[in-house]
Amino acid sequence: MAAPLLEIKDLVTVFHTSEGRLPAVDGVSLSIERGRTLGLVGESGCGKSVTAMSTLRLVSSPGRIESGSITFTTEGESIDLVTAPEKQLRKVRGGRIGMIFQEPMTSLNPVFTIGNQIAEVVQLHRKASRSEARSRALEMLHLVRVADPEQRLDEYPHQLSGGMRQRVMIAIALACEPDLIIADEPTTALDVTIQAQILELLDDLRSRLGTAILLITHDLGVVAETCDDVAVMYAGRIVEQASAVELFSHPLHPYTIGLLQARPNVDARDRSPLATIPGMVPPPQDFPSGCRFHPRCSHAREPQCNVDSPALREVSPGHFVRCHFAEEINS
Amino acid sequence: MSQEKMRVTEEIDAEKPSRGFWSDAWQRYRRRPIGMLALGFVLFLSIVALFAPAIAGTKPVICKYKGDLYFPCLGYFNRSWESPIFTKDKFRGTYPKNLKQKDPESWAVWPLVFQDPYRRVRENEWPGRRENPSRDEGHPNRLNLFGTDQYGVDIFAKMVHGTTIALLVGFVSMGLAGSIGVLVGALGGYFGGWVDMITSRLTEIVMCIPTLVLILALIAVVEKPTIWKTMAIIGATGWTGIARLTRAEFLRLRQTEFVMAARATGAGSLRIMFRHILPNALAPVLVPITFGIASAILVEGSLSFLGFGPPPPTASWGSVLNSARSNLQLWWLVVFPGAGIFLTVLAYNLVGEGLQEATDPRLREAKK
Repeated sequence: MAAPLLEIKDLVTVFHTSEGRLPAVDGVSLSIERGRTLGLVGESGCGKSVTAMSTLRLVSSPGRIESGSITFTTEGESIDLVTAPEKQLRKVRGGRIGMIFQEPMTSLNPVFTIGNQIAEVVQLHRKASRSEARSRALEMLHLVRVADPEQRLDEYPHQLSGGMRQRVMIAIALACEPDLIIADEPTTALDVTIQAQILELLDDLRSRLGTAILLITHDLGVVAETCDDVAVMYAGRIVEQASAVELFSHPLHPYTIGLLQARPNVDARDRSPLATIPGMVPPPQDFPSGCRFHPRCSHAREPQCNVDSPALREVSPGHFVRCHFAEEINS
Repeated sequence: MSQEKMRVTEEIDAEKPSRGFWSDAWQRYRRRPIGMLALGFVLFLSIVALFAPAIAGTKPVICKYKGDLYFPCLGYFNRSWESPIFTKDKFRGTYPKNLKQKDPESWAVWPLVFQDPYRRVRENEWPGRRENPSRDEGHPNRLNLFGTDQYGVDIFAKMVHGTTIALLVGFVSMGLAGSIGVLVGALGGYFGGWVDMITSRLTEIVMCIPTLVLILALIAVVEKPTIWKTMAIIGATGWTGIARLTRAEFLRLRQTEFVMAARATGAGSLRIMFRHILPNALAPVLVPITFGIASAILVEGSLSFLGFGPPPPTASWGSVLNSARSNLQLWWLVVFPGAGIFLTVLAYNLVGEGLQEATDPRLREAKK
């Protein structure tokens, strides 16, 4: 089997602050195959975005990747993004891996036109003249289905709606035909209807261009619609990983189960209050001993759960879970 | 805000096509009459500065001499731009008589006012005109609009040519200060850490030095003080405020998502600093530069007044003031250059203030 497009192994990203060493990402391993969509799910503050930022080494001080490797394989060449020199990394950023951010309102530079910003990426990564880059920008606007692309090309970000801007961000991310797109909560800031359009667009572009997607979200509905595989993160670690179908039909980790139950169900006849997971994701300085989920887990048992940190183990082919009692809970 | 008002603003917003940041700022700037007046005055000064030799001078703006066209008035900007043929033919700076004597076929277009900023106009230099008065007789009259100084040199001509110097001082020294300030501030603000440590301390050290004293000390050391050296010194000491503001803007902007997005597209540090961040930081940085132009003009005025300005033949406003020091009874030596400096500095400050109000969203909101 060929090497996966992106393989993250035991990634540890820490923030050195006055409160000490805070491991926001603590030994995460992920792999993404060419042309597939991997969903990375979790509550706020569990390390999803830091994982994404680490992938392109965009974590800024005081954050630092402490250990682990991120192997990116493209055109028969493997690069470790953790140790690659800055110059090589710059070619990967925007060229081979595109990134889409959460806030389309602030992710575009307010003083440049849309066309300018798309063309800039093209010129950065390809030997393209001004007019070539411009026509590529126009082509990209067509591709992401922006209305009146010729006119939009010369407009400024503030003249566009949120959905439009996110389309432009996608156009920027895709302009150099990357192998992978990292989308960090791409629809969180948008209306539900626009959300659906953007997700549909992403999915459509993936199937047409064969681009793999790492989709970071807290919304399980989004995952169900678009992802092939899912990884659930909690407190800096992956707690469960499986194909989307498997995860939704047989969730094993109490956290995943909790997340699934916490979704509002429109069809539900009963008007019972929405299930919640008590408490919050602990901040890195307060990670509990043993299983990091045990203070919030209804199945937690002493002394195992608060002492022994469970390992990520394969319970059925392709289904990994980090829980001592996964089988018991679900039998 | 009442509903009525809201509807009105909405209508206005709907009417005007949305624009870029700078045209928007210009729209807002235009609404302030004082700012527009000041801007008009600055433009007027620029025109005077640019066309000074055509407004007051004793050298023809354009003349035909021995079959060729010449522009002797450019000699006021730079001696070498005055054709050597006039030196060869022994004009000695007096054109009207010489032109006719040496080439009866010649013709010339003269400056609006036939007066020289560097020397006294002698008797009959211009047909039928007497020598410029000097000392107590030199008060303003029909031929010497602003009077003459103790040596009989016309003050109006000096003022007109001094405009060039005053504006040049402002632009050159602030151009220099702006470049240094933006560079130092950008480096410190963008990279942070030890780079910021060094640039911030450097800024503070330079800020601690009293500018005027430093300039006086440097002038004492410099062998031949020229106006250019004065500008260089003003520029080299006046960048601290700009550096601090630039640093603050960069500190704020480097955290923004669009900078992160730019990094994610593979842009390098230099590109992010000067292409992505700087245009966003320009408006707040432009304001202290405008104020700086005003203060540079003031510093040059003070230096010349104290007698440390450029050497005598240079006609700066400050040096006219300086000549009034020993001749206090000649009130016109004080009033005209004083008013010139005052109005120019005021105009630049008003332009700066208008710019600040037009570009700073917080001030904009407060106005509503």
